[in-house]
Amino acid sequence: MSGVRAAAVLGALLLAGCSIPSTGVTGAGQAPTGVAPGPTLYFLDDDGDLQPRVRETGSLGTVADAVQLLLVGPGGSGSRTGIAETSVTRVVVTTSPERVTLRVPLAPTDVTAAGVDQIVCTAWASHVQHGGSPRATVVIDFTIPTARSARPRTCPLAPEP
Amino acid sequence: MRLRPRLRGLRARLVAASALVAMLSVGAAVWAAAASASRSLVDSYERQVVRSTVDQVSAVAPTLTYPPDQESLDRAAGAVGPDAVVTFRDRRSAAEARTALVTDALRGAVRTGDGVVTQRVRVPEGAWLVVGVPVLATAPDGSARPSGVEVFVVQDLAEVQDQLDRMTRTVVATTAVTLPVAVLLALAAAGTVLRPVRRLRDTATRIAAGDLQARSEPRGADELADLTRTVNGMADAVQDSVTRLQRLQTDARRFAADVSHELRTPLSTLSAVVEVLDDAVDDLDEDARESARLAVAETARLVRLVEDLMEVARFDAGTARLQLDRLDVVEAVRRTLHARGWLGEVDLRVPAPDAQVWAVLDGRRLDVIVANLVGNALTHGARPVLVEVRSEADDVVVVVRDSGPGLSADALEHAFDRFSKGDPARSRGDGTGARPTPGSGLGLSLAWESAVLHGGVLTGDNDPEAGARFTLRLPRAGAGS
Repeated sequence: MSGVRAAAVLGALLLAGCSIPSTGVTGAGQAPTGVAPGPTLYFLDDDGDLQPRVRETGSLGTVADAVQLLLVGPGGSGSRTGIAETSVTRVVVTTSPERVTLRVPLAPTDVTAAGVDQIVCTAWASHVQHGGSPRATVVIDFTIPTARSARPRTCPLAPEP
Repeated sequence: MRLRPRLRGLRARLVAASALVAMLSVGAAVWAAAASASRSLVDSYERQVVRSTVDQVSAVAPTLTYPPDQESLDRAAGAVGPDAVVTFRDRRSAAEARTALVTDALRGAVRTGDGVVTQRVRVPEGAWLVVGVPVLATAPDGSARPSGVEVFVVQDLAEVQDQLDRMTRTVVATTAVTLPVAVLLALAAAGTVLRPVRRLRDTATRIAAGDLQARSEPRGADELADLTRTVNGMADAVQDSVTRLQRLQTDARRFAADVSHELRTPLSTLSAVVEVLDDAVDDLDEDARESARLAVAETARLVRLVEDLMEVARFDAGTARLQLDRLDVVEAVRRTLHARGWLGEVDLRVPAPDAQVWAVLDGRRLDVIVANLVGNALTHGARPVLVEVRSEADDVVVVVRDSGPGLSADALEHAFDRFSKGDPARSRGDGTGARPTPGSGLGLSLAWESAVLHGGVLTGDNDPEAGARFTLRLPRAGAGS
């Protein structure tokens, strides 16, 4: 009799042990990011300093979208740019958590030093807004590479590591 | 409740205990394994759902217009999956999902926007996994704040539950298969324990039945072998004692038989001499006459004692045989009383004045029994002495009753023992005149054995109205029929 009862209890335990119970609320990692009214582009003010400006396209878009918008130019906003005008704005972006590599349709001679910072800062800002690391570096592949053109660069406005 | 009496057997108890232990250990081990497997299965499934959801949300977020309108919420929900709902403030994507399962606690945790949260919710239809994903908006300086866009995914866990159920069925089936195997093993184990016990029981039964040579062979070196050796030792000791006792008894009996046999011849001579002396007693002077009478009486007593002893020896040796004759018991009893001159001293009561009670008996032994009983009554009891002969069903009954004080309980208990000297309280003759010859102490014992040899009984008790009463009951058809 007691054996039968023990077997019944054992069976009930087994069945209870194998059904999925309710739980409380538990954390399951980092929240995703990436919503914004538009990408942040970096142009130059009258003193030649870098100036962030949100281009209200409705969505953040990709890093390539942001750099392409930068290459298109400041338009009628009154800002200046250190990048020569180009009819081709196609940019190819390869992203890893710590590095953003850009292939731009420009030669090093098409871009001033401030212009390079504009490209680096715009790509970096977009990368950060996508959830990337603020310490990520940017590599620019020009159409005619020079010895030092393909080195990793950081945005001067980026927080110090 | 019917199980109770059957579980008393050693075998049933061993089997039940072994089966229970086997089931408990298998059950516990399998249960622990199944619970652990179940946990990791669910955890792994949950991680997979969370990762896929976060990946989808990460992919769709940069394309989401901000602040989102209804159309982009619908598009985002469609991109994340069929079980997803995307909300922004009061607006939510239109696709149907079981948002009723999203608890307030989970909604609150998503609103604070610290990270992805999950919760398992069990409802009667089954278990569900709810994933809450707050979407952050990150500034270029790296500071993130909740964007107000929230994604909820309600995923059915039925598939995982099915897997778990299959596992449980396997577990139950395994346990069920274990049980008969455990019972078989337990039966085998019980056999190894119970076989020596049964052998030991058989040996003990044989010893009890008189086969003192019976022994069990101890096998192995376990507790049962120890027990077997102990029982064998006990049997050895019992056999020794019994053999010694038997030898002592045999020696004693042979001694009694030899002595009485050896005494018979000189006694015959002595009897003859004493008869001559008896004849010549009137010629002697007063003193010599008294001595001669005494010699005659004591010699007669000695002859009777030796005859009794030889009868005892015959009973002990098992050589006592009945000389059966068909005779009238009334006539036989009357002859016995007449031969001893007691007809005038006792009251003989028979069914009718000329009644005859026929039976197949050993006439000599009936004479001895009746003479002994009546002699005892006359010698030790008080008159009047009543002798009654009657016929009862298949038996013939002879009752001898005196009118004395009766027998004490102690005397009754030992009345039929050998050399029992009766109750000292009872009178020993009248003390004067013809001196009664004291009995040998063997008379009642021999009477009892004679009755038993006839297939009858001899009992002694006290008549509530008078003194001691002895009842002889013998089968009329003869011994053994």
